[in-house]
Amino acid sequence: MKRTVIPVGPFHPIQEEPEFFQLTVEGEKVVDVDVRLSYNHRGIEKLCQDLTYDQIPFLLARICGICSASHPMAFCQACEDLCGVEVPERGLYLRSIICELERIHSHMLWVGLAGHFIGYNTVFMWAWRYREPVLDLLEKLIGNRNNYENFCVGGCRRDIGQEHLPEIKKAMNDLQGPVEMLTKAVLDDPVLKVRLGGIGALSEEKARDWCVTGPTARSSNLKIDVRYNEPYAAYDRIDWQVQYLPDGDVFSKAVIRLLETMESIKIIRQCVDQVEPGDIRAEVREMPPGEGIGHAEAPRGETFHYVCSDGTNYPIRYKVRAPTYVNLPSFKSSVVGQELADAMLVVAAMDPCYSCTERVAVVRHRRGNHKEVIDKNTLLKMSWDKTEKIRKNV
Amino acid sequence: MLFDEIMEQLELRVGSTVELIFPRNRRRIYVDVPPERSLNVNRIVFEILGGRLATATGKDTPDRIEVLYHYCFDASGIVVTVRTWAKKPDCKLDSVATIFPGALFIEREIQDILGVCFVNHPDPRRLILADDWPEGVYPLRRDFSARKARKETPEFLREYTREVTSP
Repeated sequence: MKRTVIPVGPFHPIQEEPEFFQLTVEGEKVVDVDVRLSYNHRGIEKLCQDLTYDQIPFLLARICGICSASHPMAFCQACEDLCGVEVPERGLYLRSIICELERIHSHMLWVGLAGHFIGYNTVFMWAWRYREPVLDLLEKLIGNRNNYENFCVGGCRRDIGQEHLPEIKKAMNDLQGPVEMLTKAVLDDPVLKVRLGGIGALSEEKARDWCVTGPTARSSNLKIDVRYNEPYAAYDRIDWQVQYLPDGDVFSKAVIRLLETMESIKIIRQCVDQVEPGDIRAEVREMPPGEGIGHAEAPRGETFHYVCSDGTNYPIRYKVRAPTYVNLPSFKSSVVGQELADAMLVVAAMDPCYSCTERVAVVRHRRGNHKEVIDKNTLLKMSWDKTEKIRKNV
Repeated sequence: MLFDEIMEQLELRVGSTVELIFPRNRRRIYVDVPPERSLNVNRIVFEILGGRLATATGKDTPDRIEVLYHYCFDASGIVVTVRTWAKKPDCKLDSVATIFPGALFIEREIQDILGVCFVNHPDPRRLILADDWPEGVYPLRRDFSARKARKETPEFLREYTREVTSP
């Protein structure tokens, strides 16, 4: 059969972020794929070498607007591993609360977008409606809807007032009903099950080979969660479960995010109950020479940071690895054999975050070699048409 | 695998071929391997011990470029770091991506920014540098200087290091 090469990008038509996929298709079926990244590098690793340990968390909060708690969190843990400092109890609980609020708003954002991609615009509106109070809550607690900048080496920068704790609890109680409703709606919907079930499946063995993390791994039957495996912040003091599902398809990836949102609500509620007044920050006098590794569970998977210090105020080497960097290449395994209308859905299902992934050097791609590119509306229409077809049959 | 088990397995399986097995604390283990035996040690850590490659870090030092493969052992939350190096000036190292595809991207990245040549890498194209970036200029090396690079390849880097003049 005749093979056609379809370039998608270098600007993602649906997610509106810069990357390039070259899909080779036979008829409607994808037979090969090539991923090209790095259209928008910001040189953060290089920049960090010229900043002090106190300044770095502020820059790291800007790696990504969505995981702006996880990156500083992983950095602080790497430094704490390096200098062996113990964070006070209250600091740990505050870290957990902020990280979980971040996870809830990130997962709700994804659920909304996924709904939009397959033509369920009601899901989109509902999910984003319930995400809004979480962002408002974050603004109240930290002063910003995103870019929290609340972590520093040794603890937290700002305390959450005791008077805010009942407010957090109330917001969580208000959120629980809608999230339960959304989860039930997704699980019970026959169209969704047919539309998303079985597409883009990543087997357990393949997931291991590609070293994937986060919801992408957990939906492929791997019980990988840094919060559980190497408990940081206050996660070891709280009763919660790692959610994982066996199938690895897009449907599992949607369900797992909703289940995790439920767990996050549970964690925040317990944190609010257990947290006691006290210090939030331990003093760090100096950074000894040596190496430190810290990792944290961002909404999209494990964020991995490595710090190498020579005893001065500045790190001599600093490495950031965002979750999308390991999840995105696995696209090659999950998309081959799928229909073209599903291809972008499979990418969207792993919730790639390009702003996290691209930080190493400043590059600009030379324009040229123009080919015909599928635009947003065509891709969305393909996806919506398929949903419509399934809906008619069910 | 628990800490003692990992230490025991490392001693048993790679103890004779590595230079050093150093537990920094109960959660971080560092293994130093000479480059000619690094492929085998990586294979054992990934396939037999069951580590998950979190990432690899390239680090420039005066006479060599160190490459650190960080493996996570998820059941116990331990990170084993396999440290190997590529001697300057040719900077050659066996590619771990021949064993499993999870190392494909990160090795391409290290090749771009530090100039380590991964031998037998299945897909050695550029990953993060632009297609028109000059050969042999590695932005994360300690001796990289935009000014110097600009002099050597003026027509290209002048664009990137354009001076901002006030109107």
